[in-house]
Amino acid sequence: MGSTLRLYLTCIRNTLHAAMCLQNFPCQEVERHNKPEVELKSSPELLLNPVVICRNEAEKCLIETSINSLRISLKVKQADELENILTKKFLRFLSMRAEAFQVLRRKPVQGYDISFLITNYHCEEMQKQKLIDFIVQFMEDIDKEISELKMSVNTRGRLVATEFLKQFI
Amino acid sequence: MACIDRASPALKQILLKLYRDSSSLIYSAEKSIEIDHHLYEFGSVEYHIQSQASNPLVAYLSLSIPPLCHGTLPNTLSSYTIEKIKGICPNLVEIEEPAREGFQLTLKLNLDHIPRNKDYVKVIEDISTIQSVILSSQLKEILWNVNSDDAVQGMYKPIKVVYHPREPFFVIRQPQKIIAIFPIRFKEKSDVIIATAFFQELVDVGNSDKWIKTPPCSWSAIPPPELRGEAFEDLNTNGGFVSFEISSRHVEGNRLDKTVWNLLNFNANVRYHVKSTKGFIHRRMRKRLENLVQVLHQTNSEENEQTKQVKKHQGCRYTKKLVKSSKHTMKQRWRTLGRKIKRIPFRLKIHGFTRFRQRWLRFPKFSSTKYTKLE
Repeated sequence: MGSTLRLYLTCIRNTLHAAMCLQNFPCQEVERHNKPEVELKSSPELLLNPVVICRNEAEKCLIETSINSLRISLKVKQADELENILTKKFLRFLSMRAEAFQVLRRKPVQGYDISFLITNYHCEEMQKQKLIDFIVQFMEDIDKEISELKMSVNTRGRLVATEFLKQFI
Repeated sequence: MACIDRASPALKQILLKLYRDSSSLIYSAEKSIEIDHHLYEFGSVEYHIQSQASNPLVAYLSLSIPPLCHGTLPNTLSSYTIEKIKGICPNLVEIEEPAREGFQLTLKLNLDHIPRNKDYVKVIEDISTIQSVILSSQLKEILWNVNSDDAVQGMYKPIKVVYHPREPFFVIRQPQKIIAIFPIRFKEKSDVIIATAFFQELVDVGNSDKWIKTPPCSWSAIPPPELRGEAFEDLNTNGGFVSFEISSRHVEGNRLDKTVWNLLNFNANVRYHVKSTKGFIHRRMRKRLENLVQVLHQTNSEENEQTKQVKKHQGCRYTKKLVKSSKHTMKQRWRTLGRKIKRIPFRLKIHGFTRFRQRWLRFPKFSSTKYTKLE
């Protein structure tokens, strides 16, 4: 792993560690309702300042915290058009299957590629440290997967091109 | 999308069925069935297969195929093409004159001439390649004959070849070489990007030293200068233009057939590659999803295990607590158990046994309080 990537991920890990102190908090506006305040944003006193961690212009992470929920939005690096479509395809594929992840948001926040929503219930069900590990691991895996996919597509192309040209000989 | 195989799969299947039916008729006295099939391929190629009940050993195959190049070739088949068709299976295939109405060619197939051994599949496959034979011979004719006047004047006009209605390509004959230019169009942007990545690889591989014998190829996003003056709709593409430079080396002897077939099927090959790459990406994404979900579920299962362990320890604590409990409680429990055993009714009734049992078969008493039976 590159040193800049390690620093970027460590920064996100530490920020998440600090931000993930969630507690049960009923909705202030609707009786007997419990809603993620980071999504509603109806009571400013329940929200913390959002944090944006940037590695570069193309790669950044937005962490929005409230009393009972946390929203993490990621923008993944897309160096060229092929990486762009591969990222879009992959992240759309994951978003369509958000129920398998529990913490994945179906629609990303505007300007980002993928978003997670962690509530106090998730923190109660799963360990906080493991959740942070999962987010960081996910970020690492996405980057790795996109570059591997790109390489595979190019390798396949080269093989097909070779086979096609072989027919002329 | 055009079929990459030379043999038409549907035609092959029908002919195989016909052959099997006819061979079974020879050995058994079954009544033959009349067959009349109309078949369309790529929306423009039409086959008509007919076999009469009165003569089941003969079948008629009619074919209607749009001309590969409008204006350059006549609608009827040339003598060269007819020679090529006759060469498929000389004993078996006869050309019927005139052809059936609405078709350019009608073939009479003598099914009893097909060999009875394993070779019959190969023979039928050869007959099913009729469309590719016609198209290949037409393209060869274009390459041989046209533009001779233009070449003299130093002008080489592109010939528009329409193998598939939506995928035309251009052939330009020049003194030392023939240039084939393929405009590439796709509906989806993702297809364009995958195809572009493929073209870059194709150009890299084609121009490397190892593949010096293959036709040099190039890709450009804008129309090449050879296509200057062509209709706007032909030059309007989203995937750019791929060009192959065919020299005399690539059209010598048997290579001509291969080269012509590769040029005709270049578009089909590209589309097939794009489709299979999309499938590959999807398969890989599905596999990756499983791995990612597993990471999250591991978190859950680890947590559950920890909870179980805590409960297990709680159980041990309970046993320890029980052992550590006072002697008095133990005695009390022992007495309760004894009482319960005593209350179990015996099935056999012996006079005076209850008293005997009470007196001699007693459980040791730990408490000071005595039990008195109520009379």
